[in-house]
Amino acid sequence: MNRDSTVRDMNTLWGNVFKNGKKERQDVRDILKGIPVFEELGAKELFQIGRILHEREFRADEAVFRQGDPGVGMYIIAEGEVLIRTDPSGQVLAELEAGEFFGELSLLGDAPRTASAIARTPCRLLCFFQPDLLDLLERHPRLGVKILFRLAKTIGERLRKTNECLAAAGQSSGDEADAGKVP
Amino acid sequence: MERSSDNWVRVIFLLLVLALVFFFLLSIGELVRIVLISALLAYIIEPVAVYIESRGSSRLAATTIIFLAVVTTAAALLFLLLPLVARQIESLHAAITSGQAAAAVRASEDLIRQKLSFMGGGSMDLAGRLDAASSRMGEWLVSHILDVVSIMTNLVIIPFIVFFLLKDGREMKREFIRMVPNRYFEFALTLLYKMDLQLGNYLRGQFLDALIFGAMSTVALWALGVKYYLLIGAFAGLANLIPFLGPVAGAVSAVAMSVLDTGSFETSLYIIAAFVVMKLIDDIVVQPLVVARSVEMHPLLVLLAVLAGGKLFGILGMLLSVPATGFLKIVVSESVANFRRYHLT
Repeated sequence: MNRDSTVRDMNTLWGNVFKNGKKERQDVRDILKGIPVFEELGAKELFQIGRILHEREFRADEAVFRQGDPGVGMYIIAEGEVLIRTDPSGQVLAELEAGEFFGELSLLGDAPRTASAIARTPCRLLCFFQPDLLDLLERHPRLGVKILFRLAKTIGERLRKTNECLAAAGQSSGDEADAGKVP
Repeated sequence: MERSSDNWVRVIFLLLVLALVFFFLLSIGELVRIVLISALLAYIIEPVAVYIESRGSSRLAATTIIFLAVVTTAAALLFLLLPLVARQIESLHAAITSGQAAAAVRASEDLIRQKLSFMGGGSMDLAGRLDAASSRMGEWLVSHILDVVSIMTNLVIIPFIVFFLLKDGREMKREFIRMVPNRYFEFALTLLYKMDLQLGNYLRGQFLDALIFGAMSTVALWALGVKYYLLIGAFAGLANLIPFLGPVAGAVSAVAMSVLDTGSFETSLYIIAAFVVMKLIDDIVVQPLVVARSVEMHPLLVLLAVLAGGKLFGILGMLLSVPATGFLKIVVSESVANFRRYHLT
């Protein structure tokens, strides 16, 4: 190990020990305010959510989770970019950046992940997991219900959009079939 | 092929580390015992803290309220019950050392020799053995029960650890998860959550079951006029943690005390009948309601655990061995299930 990397590791170590908690919490609250599930929460409630989030750092190309893994919860991108892709085809479904989130369906069940999430650049992610949501529902039921309600609303909106897309796709394939008919 | 030999090296390394940890824990046995008891107590009290938090209090306030309530109740119980328990211990010792108990034992020995002469038993010298046991009991009382320094140390240290485990337990778990590498992060989180859930239910169930069985025994023995009903009731409740052997140990000790006290077997049948009824109530009503059924343990495993617990940590080790084995079983079964779900094997 060279001197630079040793100094960097020591900085990280002491950075962890004497980290500026207040600034970090404010940063987390700002990020949470932009997420639909948390956008209607007050400062105190955001503070409570911030305390139960897990913060993780991923290297570029590192897997956040793999397709088929049991779903545990959602990830919010604080810094960096994440690719959502299907395996083994490698088809990219979405490219997400700071302020966006993924995996929220796993907050409501532990069905296997339908796609893999891979860090495209070095990332800092905030993780909100089902066990923590269940714990929150027990300890602070009012806040837990608010989050569940917003989550249901977000998922409902997605379902409505999916239905519209399906209806539009059905309509266009019907039109194509009509156009193909011999008069 | 290379991969499989790598796996073997890993397994051997892991076993070596586990063996080292085991021997280290053995060498600091007293500390482990204190931490284990504190962790068990914290697990049992946790739902109360969560309930108080759900009414709008902070974690610190919830922990403080519980702590004050427990300390006040314990002090009140000590104040009320200690003189009674001390009197019972004193009276028990006097009964054993008096001629009355020796006469009862000699009568029992004669009866056994008459009725079971076909088994060819010579002189059993039960009275002599009782005398030896009584003097050993005196030494044991002085070295264990009356070891005031050790009791006071535990009475201060254990509540202190319980307080911080309750207040900061969640933060400790988060800090532990923070250290887990990204690849095992979701796996570790799920594992901890499931273990926590199962273990909490199991330990609280065991505790409630022991409490209810202890209370039932105390009331039954008091109603039957057995003299040391508080001591034997408490012992029967704790012994009930040990499946199969526990209730038998409770009944045997109650019968023995009754015989020593009265000098006759008159109430023995009633005591045995009471224990049979209580065990039935425990099996049919109490256990299905309060004990989590998820931790099924093979009787042989329980027996070996009790023997190992007794060998390593004495009577307390025997009593704690069953919950500790339940804990290990949950850790192993959840780890294996989760390893499979996350395709880590």
